[in-house]
Amino acid sequence: MIRLEHISKQFAAIRAVNDVSLTIKKGAITIVSGADGAGKSTLFKILVGLVKKDSGAILLNGENIHNDYTRITSVCGYMPEKFSLYVDLSVEENLNFFAAIQQVPRRRFEELKQHLLEKTGMLPFKKRRAGDLSGGMKQKLALSAILLSSPELIILDEPTTGVDPLSRIEFFTIIEDLKKEGKTIVMSTPYLDEAEKGDFVVLLKNGRVMMQDSMAMLKESFPARLFRILPQGNIFEVMQQITDVPGLAGQVHMRGKFIRYMQSGPENLSSQVPHLEIIEERPTLEDVYIYHERRQ
Amino acid sequence: MKPTANAIEVHDLVKIFGHFQAVKKINFAVRQGEILGFLGPNGAGKTTTIKMITGLLNITSGSILVNGLDNQKHMALIKKKIGYMSQKFSLYPLLTVRENIEFFGGISGLNRKELRDQFTRIGTQLSDELLRQRVQALPPGIRQQVALLVCLLPDPEIILLDEPTSGVDPAMRRQFWNEIYSLKKNNKTLLVTTHHLDEAEYCDRVMIIHNGKIVLQGEPAELLSQNRQTSIEELFKQVISAHGQN
Repeated sequence: MIRLEHISKQFAAIRAVNDVSLTIKKGAITIVSGADGAGKSTLFKILVGLVKKDSGAILLNGENIHNDYTRITSVCGYMPEKFSLYVDLSVEENLNFFAAIQQVPRRRFEELKQHLLEKTGMLPFKKRRAGDLSGGMKQKLALSAILLSSPELIILDEPTTGVDPLSRIEFFTIIEDLKKEGKTIVMSTPYLDEAEKGDFVVLLKNGRVMMQDSMAMLKESFPARLFRILPQGNIFEVMQQITDVPGLAGQVHMRGKFIRYMQSGPENLSSQVPHLEIIEERPTLEDVYIYHERRQ
Repeated sequence: MKPTANAIEVHDLVKIFGHFQAVKKINFAVRQGEILGFLGPNGAGKTTTIKMITGLLNITSGSILVNGLDNQKHMALIKKKIGYMSQKFSLYPLLTVRENIEFFGGISGLNRKELRDQFTRIGTQLSDELLRQRVQALPPGIRQQVALLVCLLPDPEIILLDEPTSGVDPAMRRQFWNEIYSLKKNNKTLLVTTHHLDEAEYCDRVMIIHNGKIVLQGEPAELLSQNRQTSIEELFKQVISAHGQN
């Protein structure tokens, strides 16, 4: 649906976005992930025209928009990282206000409002001041406000950052429902476990794309094997033994009662370390991220 | 002092703010040398509980024993045994890393020699260049690492970490957990709150608090198998919905 080509943006000495190219596919959830300062928010602001890019092109359905950002904003709903609704208005008053400025027809709005309040679980809180909502509820309200215009494309900048785990899970369930309704979603998050739920993932680091692909391909192309070992005896001694195996230094880490290690060569640890079990695991997105970050 | 295998014991702990009961008669123990993960939605009572253990908040009723000592009677002694890294970043942004370490070392009661020894130890973890940088210029992961070092300055036996990996990038997060494990290796006891549900698996035991009540505690693998779940996220959803949402 949208293609960003060689987008760059510099603020004074900082190159916030550096030659980023990526595709946002219609009807899919694309997740942009990376640490604080990786360039996620700047990239999203460039996409909706809030920040002017230094170079590069934005293509909508194959056509260059040539700085006519209304072509993007007319089909998208953008939710910024910072809560931007009116804290002194109630949930319902905020929705009324945003429907009015988006000129949503009255009858359609009443149906939509009811639907959104039910969908987000906010119906019992519709009279509550937005400023008195929990972090998770605020984000659901902000999402509802952008959905009033029934956008085809939904752009969400870190909607779950700092939000507690339960609200994060609930928020993502709503996102998955929107995908089922045919919406195209692009969302940024610093949480890799959340990013794993996307169809496509773009990993940013210092303004550059470190890795991008479908979730399945990112894991499929992981070039090493991962094992989880349940050690017998003192876990720290076993950990040391594994670390001492040639080729495994720096590839070993603890995870609770288990030790995980990444193996690129043919080493066979089963005879070398006392263990109760060794299980081969599929890599997580965190494993993929750390592997590529180290390589770079 | 009564000998105990528990570093922290919490009995019938209650905290009331005005008309709001934030913590509702909870009971739990943190065993010596273990990592206990403390999970729960926002407002569930995690930080309030931790602040009561550290003495930053008065308790309404109940009791807290730290190494067998009642924290209502022996807070001065207990404070020397506890290291607390708060959820809100608490170093001075305009001071350098070295200045922060010197300042917090001083108020922790370290003398000059002890502070010098700590710098020798810290020197293996932080470069001279990093020590000279202002804290506000550091990336979030490094800031958290410095905050942890500061919390460890008085060499506490019990370490309370309130969302230590929040805002930290994945590689730093793994490194941070390596630090936590080396503390465990040195027989430290750790109570860690987190919003990363996958980190529950990194702990020896986990405890979930919801609406001021402890609703689940145990070893991660056992809890998953008892509740017929395959992920901590699913388990968390199940437990919270079974006990009603906020």
